[in-house]
Amino acid sequence: MIVCVAVIGHQNNPLYIQSFTEADDALKLHHIVHCSLDVVEERVNNPKKSGPTLNETFLGLLYPTENYKVYGYLTNTKVKFILVTTDLDVRDADVRNFFRRFHAAYVDAVSNPFHVPGKKITSKTFAERVSNIVKSFGLSSAS
Amino acid sequence: MEDYPEELRTPPVGLIALVGCPEHHSLITTHLLSEQPPSNTLALPDIAKISLLLSSADKSSLPPPDPSSSPTAGILKRDWLHKHRTRVPAVVAALFISDHVSGDPAQWLQLCSDLENLKAVIRPKNIKLAVVVVHSSSDDISEDRMIALRKRAELDSKYLVVFNPADSSQLEQSLNKLGSTFAELANTYYRDEGRRIKTRVERKSFNSIELNIRYCFKVAVSAEFRRDWVEALRFYEDAYYTLREMIGTANRLPVIQRLIEIKTVAEQLHFKISTLLLHGGKVIEAVTWFHQHFASYRKLLGPAEAIFLHWEWVSRQFLVFAELLETSSKTIHSNSSPALGTSERSLTEWKFQPAYYYQLAGHYLKEKRTSFELALSMLQNADEIDGSAESVTPAIYVGQFARLLEQGDAFVMQPLTDEEYTRYAIAEAKRFQDSFEIIALLKRSYESYTNLKAQRMASRCGFQMAQEYFAMGDLNNAKQLLDVIAALYRKEGWVTLLWEVLGFLRECSRKRGIVKEFIEYSLEMAALPVSPCTGVQSFRTKECGPAGPASLAQRENIHNEVFQLVSGEIGAVSVGDSTDLKVNRDSPLHLEIDLVSPLRMALLASVAFHEQIIKPGVPALITLSLLSQLPLTVDLDQLEVQFNQSECNFIIINSQKPPSAEISTSQQGRHVESAPSLALVTNKWLRLTYEIKSEQSGKLECIYVIAKMGPHFTICCRAESPASMDDLPLWKFEDRVETFPTKDPVLAFSGQKLAQVEEPDPQVDLVLGATGPALVGECFVVPVTVASKGHDIFSGELKINLVDVRGGGLFSPREAEPFSMDNHHVELLGVNGPEGEDESTGGYDKIKKIQQSFGLVSLPIMKDGESWSCKLEIKWHRPKPIMLFVSLSYFPDSNEMTSQKIHVHKNLQIEGKSAVLISHHFMLPFRQDPLLLSKLKPASSSDQGTSLPLNETSIVLASAKNCSEVPLQLQSMSIEMDDDVERSFTLQPSSEDLLGPAYLVPGEEFKKVFTIIPEVESSNLNLGSVSLRWRRNLQNKDRSSSAAEAWVLTRHKLPDVNVELSPLVLTVDCPPYAILGDPFTYSVKIRNQTQLLQEVKFSLADAQSFVLSGSHSDTVFVLPKSEHVLGYKIVPLASGLQQLPRVTVTSVRYSAVFQLSNAASTVFVFPTKPHFKTADVGDKGIESVVAE
Repeated sequence: MIVCVAVIGHQNNPLYIQSFTEADDALKLHHIVHCSLDVVEERVNNPKKSGPTLNETFLGLLYPTENYKVYGYLTNTKVKFILVTTDLDVRDADVRNFFRRFHAAYVDAVSNPFHVPGKKITSKTFAERVSNIVKSFGLSSAS
Repeated sequence: MEDYPEELRTPPVGLIALVGCPEHHSLITTHLLSEQPPSNTLALPDIAKISLLLSSADKSSLPPPDPSSSPTAGILKRDWLHKHRTRVPAVVAALFISDHVSGDPAQWLQLCSDLENLKAVIRPKNIKLAVVVVHSSSDDISEDRMIALRKRAELDSKYLVVFNPADSSQLEQSLNKLGSTFAELANTYYRDEGRRIKTRVERKSFNSIELNIRYCFKVAVSAEFRRDWVEALRFYEDAYYTLREMIGTANRLPVIQRLIEIKTVAEQLHFKISTLLLHGGKVIEAVTWFHQHFASYRKLLGPAEAIFLHWEWVSRQFLVFAELLETSSKTIHSNSSPALGTSERSLTEWKFQPAYYYQLAGHYLKEKRTSFELALSMLQNADEIDGSAESVTPAIYVGQFARLLEQGDAFVMQPLTDEEYTRYAIAEAKRFQDSFEIIALLKRSYESYTNLKAQRMASRCGFQMAQEYFAMGDLNNAKQLLDVIAALYRKEGWVTLLWEVLGFLRECSRKRGIVKEFIEYSLEMAALPVSPCTGVQSFRTKECGPAGPASLAQRENIHNEVFQLVSGEIGAVSVGDSTDLKVNRDSPLHLEIDLVSPLRMALLASVAFHEQIIKPGVPALITLSLLSQLPLTVDLDQLEVQFNQSECNFIIINSQKPPSAEISTSQQGRHVESAPSLALVTNKWLRLTYEIKSEQSGKLECIYVIAKMGPHFTICCRAESPASMDDLPLWKFEDRVETFPTKDPVLAFSGQKLAQVEEPDPQVDLVLGATGPALVGECFVVPVTVASKGHDIFSGELKINLVDVRGGGLFSPREAEPFSMDNHHVELLGVNGPEGEDESTGGYDKIKKIQQSFGLVSLPIMKDGESWSCKLEIKWHRPKPIMLFVSLSYFPDSNEMTSQKIHVHKNLQIEGKSAVLISHHFMLPFRQDPLLLSKLKPASSSDQGTSLPLNETSIVLASAKNCSEVPLQLQSMSIEMDDDVERSFTLQPSSEDLLGPAYLVPGEEFKKVFTIIPEVESSNLNLGSVSLRWRRNLQNKDRSSSAAEAWVLTRHKLPDVNVELSPLVLTVDCPPYAILGDPFTYSVKIRNQTQLLQEVKFSLADAQSFVLSGSHSDTVFVLPKSEHVLGYKIVPLASGLQQLPRVTVTSVRYSAVFQLSNAASTVFVFPTKPHFKTADVGDKGIESVVAE
């Protein structure tokens, strides 16, 4: 289950961060997302370690905590997407697929002429769409 | 890791017992330790003692392992490993002195019995024997005795070693031999042991899992003794897997202790495996192994009251693995770093970092603390447990505990019940300071992350550390950490995280009683952009720290709390329960907000001048804009605006609030404005526009805006220019309505907090009166007039500068080389004071500095309406235009300290021109032609200058043309020699002034004729120069100064001439005119000036208008120093200007041809005899006319 998704801006500032848990661990998730930026930074700065594909947007598993797995994605405009999941067995394809859809939603949201680039995303439509994507995570591949 | 016993932490080393001959033990021991692999030694001086050692070691394991016995009491014996490393040797080396071997029978018998005893002791344990014969004397040991000894000891011959310590050359050799023998024997022993137990494992000749594990462990250890790491690893892993099978069956009582034992054993096995893997450089395997280990045990919480033991155990696993990783990464760093993440998908770089494990160790220790507190609360009599009465010690099996009971003089181990054990564990845990441990773990993680430049992870660790410090009451450490972390979160705009951190910081400062920090953190929190949606959605009170949930309501609470505190209301009660936080008369509070302060969110001041340049004394508009992001409206009592010119400071008071007494006393002598309202609404600019006046020229900059809220609280906010204002931190990421600080959007983009105040306008006229162009050589006068028109002039100074117009190059004193006047084509000669003013009478301190292109003149004190003038004298040496700059600076006030200096600048371009152009012309007398040999040579004629004949008259015609635009007056023209040259020619007229001044209008030319007779033969005769004295012809408008006008001397250098003796001089003699029909004589004189006979050919061409008599052509010889005359009688036949017959004379010697010029061979023929007044017209007049 996805517990948290986040969009991180250029200055490593959160543009959108949403957790999907019942428990009171939103703050912890914020911490986890923030910490994962260290890994993203390292991957970006040392591209050798991130594998053969240079233009790969998907950063893969960033950071395993005791209960969570954190995945990252870097758009070509250097906006980062972070996904925190509790599933211990996650298929790469699912994550990739998720990020692709998430990216599309993000692109639509920032294409809004009323959105100022670099500011937080406050669009309700975006939030709804993200929540749908989160809900359908893993389902599409199962079918 | 340090908690583990030594024998577990280090790889095992074979043990060898030395008996007998104690004097050699230390030597052998040192050698064996330095061997590779090393061996430990057990040195026994007496052979008899060996039985004691081994039997005591036996006693503890007295009941021999009988596979058939009922359930084994434990898995691993605590001291088994220790025993094998320190007490049970693999090899016993018996040292005998060679004397005893080859000595008398009694010694031999003693030796044999010792050997027998030894054999009896070691045989049951399979310990290997080696016999060392120490060569003590020089004589050889008999061969028979050696063989006998070998047979007695039942040894292979290679295990009977002769040791010769006396001979240093053989010592090394025999030591090596000993080493290798012992190593071989030890290896055999451990291999045999391992094999023996291995067969048991393979045959499964046991009935309990415990034994299975124990056997596997033993095999692994013996493999380790042999340094067979692969087998060791395999059997450790076997033991570990077998142990895991036990977990399922481990429901035997006592449950808690059983689980503890299993975990402890698992821990030891895991430790061994990890160590072996890491030492083998298999980091990935080790990490994977660790995670498997963790995964298989993490769920084994055990009964509720002992959960804390589980978490403690888990924490220890992480800590130990972290330490292992750390030490191994130091030793085999090169192996751990390469790109492993790609080969193993689930592993990332962070899993190889010890910091990660330290952090989790800390995390689980926290978990332990929580469950321990829970366990304590479950026990009713928790307080009574103190552990002092208990005598629980670790039992003989690893992971077991027992009560030690004293029965007589022996101690008996009594097993514990689970309840007793729990009490014991709780008592132990109470002594343990978890917080310190947690901080220590987190600190290691923090430092490690910091070294890795993983600042965010480090921050998280730091935050956890700070929370621990906070909980422990170590507020200084907490604050120090939190401040660093807050800076990162501020920078990256993580508002929710920052909120938490600030909450802790705020509580820290509250507990420490530091009002200023408390207010600062509170204001920052209140101004944080906590978005309403996240606030509602996530944080509930349980999770969040002392800050409370990040929400708008909480921000408002904090806001109210702060403003109640600063207003001195009873709010202090709710705040200061522990320490007093007060803001009152005794402890006023003053905050400063600079350009990087996070409190800019709380109050931002922007100041813009409407004009960039303002006139002194003229009111200018200034807009002051304030912005606050505090959640509630703030009412300011008073605003003070401070400038760098303190007289401009002013105060804005809130007209809605009656000014308190304190405020009014502080306003003495200040400019006070009042505003209808000073309410700061959230995210709305408060714009105030006022007029200010500055009297002082220069920069006027607004520095601070000081807001006063409440009687004792001020915020000093550094003023910012709207044009260069940064975005608000954190709020810049928010989607909010942004407005301009000023109403005028242009001002919002370009407004500056500073303006330039101009100088006051000068009320003085500076006039440069110059007439026309200047003439080179004359002293050109530029009158300068300073006339005051409204200002008095004090300390006036006039600066004069001459600047080249074209090059722009200033004729600065620096450029001017002192010796070369010529460098200065234009020169400032002097400044003459006003007319009629004597310099001595000047009542002021006259400063006058004149340099070639720069002058400085001080002015007298002048009252309004007065004027002063002076004259600049400038001389041009070359024709050149220059720019004259004159600047006047003065104070309009006698007090120089207060008044401002005023500057007036004027400039004037002046053309410098040459007044006269002098030229010259050389001529010979009429109808006289000396032969000049130098003219004959064609090559030299071009570059050769003028040649003049020696002792013959030559004529110089000098002319001066007025090329200026003004009429000139000439005084004289003469040829003058240079000072140091003597004249070597006769000059006519020598120096003769003109009779009266000659006037020369522009364009006119003046000529004068000089005759020169050179007296010296010279190739370059200096003729001197033509000197012309002139001046401007001042007309009737001149004043009396014309008398002072000096004559200007202009010189024109005549070229040097070549003077030579001419060998032949040809003179044509002819009357000046002829009358028609009247015959006259026409003669050609050839004068030979040489000592030689000259042959001269001549010919005469007929002319139409004349009839003549005489020879037409002939050759004559002219005698030396004599003259030959060719005479002709000629009768003119036609009147008018007629060409005489042409005579051509050729000098044969010089092959030179004379021919008279057309002008010289022309004569005017009158029809009848004219009537002349023959009185005053001489030859000279005619000549000069002809020359024109």
